[in-house]
Amino acid sequence: MAQAGLRRAVTGCAVIVIILLAVGLYRAKSDAARTEADVRALERQIAETEDELRALRAEIAHLESPQRVETLARQHLDVAVGSEAAALPEDAMDRRLPAPRSP
Amino acid sequence: MKPLGAPMFAAAEQPAPRFAQQAAPARNRVRILALSIFAVLLLLAGRAVQLAFAGDPLAEPRRAASAPAPLARADIVDRNGVLLATTVRAYALTAAPQRVWNAGETADALRRVFPDLDRATLLRRLGDRERRQVYLRRGLTPNQREQVTALGLGGIGFVAEDRRAYPQGALAAHVLGFTDVDLNPLAGVERGLDGAIRAGGEHGRAVALSLDVRVQYALEEELDRAARAAGASGGAAILLDGRNGETLALASWPSFDPNAAGAAAETARRDRVAGGGRELGSTMKPFTLAMALEERVTTGAEVFDVSMPFDIDGAAITDHERILGPVGLREILARSSNIGAARLALRVGAARQRTYLERLGLTAPAALEIGRNQAPIAPDTRGRRDVAGRGFGYGLAATPAALAGAYTVFVNDGARVAPTLRLRGEDEAVERAPVFAPATARQVLFYLRGAVTNGTGRAADVPGLAVAGKTGTAEIWGGAQGYDQSRNFSSFAGVFPANEPRYVIVLALDEVGEAGGATAAPAVARTLRRIAPMLGLRVEAQSE
Repeated sequence: MAQAGLRRAVTGCAVIVIILLAVGLYRAKSDAARTEADVRALERQIAETEDELRALRAEIAHLESPQRVETLARQHLDVAVGSEAAALPEDAMDRRLPAPRSP
Repeated sequence: MKPLGAPMFAAAEQPAPRFAQQAAPARNRVRILALSIFAVLLLLAGRAVQLAFAGDPLAEPRRAASAPAPLARADIVDRNGVLLATTVRAYALTAAPQRVWNAGETADALRRVFPDLDRATLLRRLGDRERRQVYLRRGLTPNQREQVTALGLGGIGFVAEDRRAYPQGALAAHVLGFTDVDLNPLAGVERGLDGAIRAGGEHGRAVALSLDVRVQYALEEELDRAARAAGASGGAAILLDGRNGETLALASWPSFDPNAAGAAAETARRDRVAGGGRELGSTMKPFTLAMALEERVTTGAEVFDVSMPFDIDGAAITDHERILGPVGLREILARSSNIGAARLALRVGAARQRTYLERLGLTAPAALEIGRNQAPIAPDTRGRRDVAGRGFGYGLAATPAALAGAYTVFVNDGARVAPTLRLRGEDEAVERAPVFAPATARQVLFYLRGAVTNGTGRAADVPGLAVAGKTGTAEIWGGAQGYDQSRNFSSFAGVFPANEPRYVIVLALDEVGEAGGATAAPAVARTLRRIAPMLGLRVEAQSE
């Protein structure tokens, strides 16, 4: 009788352990799936951000294009980009500087 | 163990209590089992409800790696990392004809966003109910996509795709080329460096060209200005670092916007630097002098009488302006004497002339990575007239790119370096093919400097920069009418600074009335004034 009771108790414990393991496995798998979904969502987000980044880089390159910069420089600063005025020999400086004033 | 619920046989007859007691544990097990099955089914049902509302995250296709998706084509940048071409996200506008309620209304709504869409074509595609999906337009920007989405049209959708974008617009259009909507290369380095661009896309690595956008812009603008002023039908210009062959700028005129290459005229899309050959004219004379000096059929001390027309087999060779008095090699080049060059060419002879032209790379297509390099027209002739004609630039049609490559001999002590559009590595060896002896190359370089200071190329002179070069004015062959004096291929080819030669520039204008000294040479001077500071060179200020 005692043996039968012990067997029942062991069986009950085993069933409980199995149930706990099954629930644990189920939860672990669900968590893994959820995490994997999160990773995929992040990857999608990274890809979209990279797409936006490429578009922004293209826009920056367009805004910095020499043609646009030179046009703006002429319009707003009245200077020409890359002209000989940008680099003069040293002796040319004398001609451009104002005449020295007597002390 | 006691039964959990009321005894099943409570209402049964009396003789069974012992049996009922013995059966009680079994009943309990059955109940536990039933409850367990019920619990499992309940769990399954709950999970089914969850999946119905939330979807199964595991149902999505898995990707092997979490690395970002490779690009079909890599970015193209200039030597300083300035972006020239990139791949951006775009969308194809699609429709599912079976889900389109009213094709007419849908077409009208779409044409409000895209007025250039043809209504009849739209109606035909939207009404094609045998197909599940039809493409209406490719290459939509995200903004255009939002505009279409805002219309709320049934059956209209989008497919994500990649589109090639050229943020510098028309700048370096002929160098970059373009692709079709499926990113297949059609022209320029997109085609010439297709393998490297695809490999770069897979590894996320940009392809660097030797171009400098600042120099490129200056060259394009001055070429445009010169071509318009001269009424040219086309123009070409190329600037090389002659020591390693790197192309700093390459321009064809007229130009086009590679972002809308399909809308550009064929003449605008045509590359005239490596894709268009012409008889080059007097820019070939320096090579004739160098050949004669190298073969010792003349010396720097010899003088020639070129005052009278030179008759070869009944054909008279003349100079544009009669040159009186004895002249040396320096004057022959400075005053661009056809007679003097023809005499020297005949002394060199057909076979040796051909050998030198081959070594100079003028009898084979240039090797620029630009998709298509036109082969020169260089027939193997041995007649005296042909040999003499080649002495001053006729009877051989080559490209400005090939001419620029040939002029590198004056930068490298007589050795030729092939032009390239690739940015060379710092330690990369440069292949130099010897053509002339260093002394010969330096002597002709001295003559070229004289052609700019005292000759036909005076307009190319830039004080402080020591430009050395030669003008060219080749009449264009008009078929049965012969050469047309009113249509010239006018050019200037030179190197600078002459005291420490490094750069090669060639600028040519097609079908102009005036000579190279009046059209191409001034454009070269303007260009050099602009780009000298970018190259670290100093020029003197123009007199105010």
